[in-house]
Amino acid sequence: MSNIAGKAYAMSVITPVRWYMSWINKLFFWVAQKRSSTLKGLVTLSLIHYARWVVIGRKQFPRLHPDQPQEDLRYSYMLFFSNFNGSWDQYVDSFTFSIPSGLDLFWKWNIRYPRSVPLTPFHEYIRYNQIEATHYYSAYPLASSNDVKAAKKVAQALAGFDARCHDAEPEAFLKNYHALLRDLQNDLGDMRPTPIVSMSAQQVEKRRQRDVRKEQERLAAMGEERKHA
Amino acid sequence: MPDKSGNAYALTILSPIRAGHLDEIAYADVVRSRLDAWNFLENSPMARVPQTYLCRYFVLDDVFTQSLGGGDVFGTWQDFLSIFSDRARRRALPHEDHLKSRYLVFSCNFHGDLDAYLRGMWLAIGNEIRHAWEFCYAFDQVRNADDFVAYMKKCRLKASLFFVGSNDDPLDEQLKALYLKQEFGKFVVAHQGVPAAQLQQAYRDFIARVEPANLAGPSWSPGQYRLRQENQ
Repeated sequence: MSNIAGKAYAMSVITPVRWYMSWINKLFFWVAQKRSSTLKGLVTLSLIHYARWVVIGRKQFPRLHPDQPQEDLRYSYMLFFSNFNGSWDQYVDSFTFSIPSGLDLFWKWNIRYPRSVPLTPFHEYIRYNQIEATHYYSAYPLASSNDVKAAKKVAQALAGFDARCHDAEPEAFLKNYHALLRDLQNDLGDMRPTPIVSMSAQQVEKRRQRDVRKEQERLAAMGEERKHA
Repeated sequence: MPDKSGNAYALTILSPIRAGHLDEIAYADVVRSRLDAWNFLENSPMARVPQTYLCRYFVLDDVFTQSLGGGDVFGTWQDFLSIFSDRARRRALPHEDHLKSRYLVFSCNFHGDLDAYLRGMWLAIGNEIRHAWEFCYAFDQVRNADDFVAYMKKCRLKASLFFVGSNDDPLDEQLKALYLKQEFGKFVVAHQGVPAAQLQQAYRDFIARVEPANLAGPSWSPGQYRLRQENQ
């Protein structure tokens, strides 16, 4: 069980919403999707990889077989899935401080939603409704969302620089190289498998120990082969 | 379409799990245990599924209803009434819902179109999929990639809002860019104060080594969690 895959954290929250009000939630989301300016606050939270909201009507849980009992629910449900960097507290608090009114708008019709301010009831609400992932995977566990964005900028800038300056005179090359570094000075941070901040560290450590053991066994086998040769 | 933002796709799957037992263990718990076993592998099977950015699996046992005081008008009014009457307080508590089935939840962000992704997923990790979904309703009718695509579409829930805070480039481009960023950072640190001609030669050697335009060349691999696994 782990909500951590390297630098990414998986938040999964399911909250009840009055079925006759869920259409308002859907309307807010529809407007937000259509008018990108309404998501300006979210854009400032650069720690997010991807986030989504899914509203399930009380009669919309998938039913695939006649033997499967029909759900009989009083509420509709809202699922929230987010992939972000940093700790749980950092994320929830940054939501509260950056887009409190947007947050309240999205969850407004959810049962017993306490609003995003003050923090403690909001923390309790999210914790109560959060589900831990059994398996979480990231294609780039060493990288944060900002790393992914910075990497794109570096790759593009490097391609442009290479096209212009690969065969330039050394002095012109140096001048442009310095200009390139000035342009990329905020994007060249080193990526490393740290920090590990949760239970998944245990899994990572097990893998690491297994890697080390395999490497030692391989080296020992090579040593033996050399002795016999 | 809210499931898609640019070239990034948000897939949400809820597959109902049959009520039954395998060696006295509920099917839903067997599913959970099988997914948990993926955490102990060298890397996630999902690393083999093309174009997967991030994904998660869990078993939804039930829904929750938190009953502490809320911030809405009705809640506040009911809380006020509860001062005078315990009956009013009890009536104000939210109704408690319970699910009749447990669900395998698969939530994924990937690059590209749904059909192609699901087909690629089946071709890459068909055995793992069969193992994880074995006890879900109607999955016994899934025999090939087409069946799998059709099955997953029946389990799919459409997103109401999808936000991309990262980027929606193909995964191999993202991984190559991350590799370049890391390597170029190291190059810059190692070549501070070097004379122009010498720097230019070192730069040419660097470019020849990292091959920026070659996505199939040196890069990070999907799911790579240690720096020394770089294919250099």
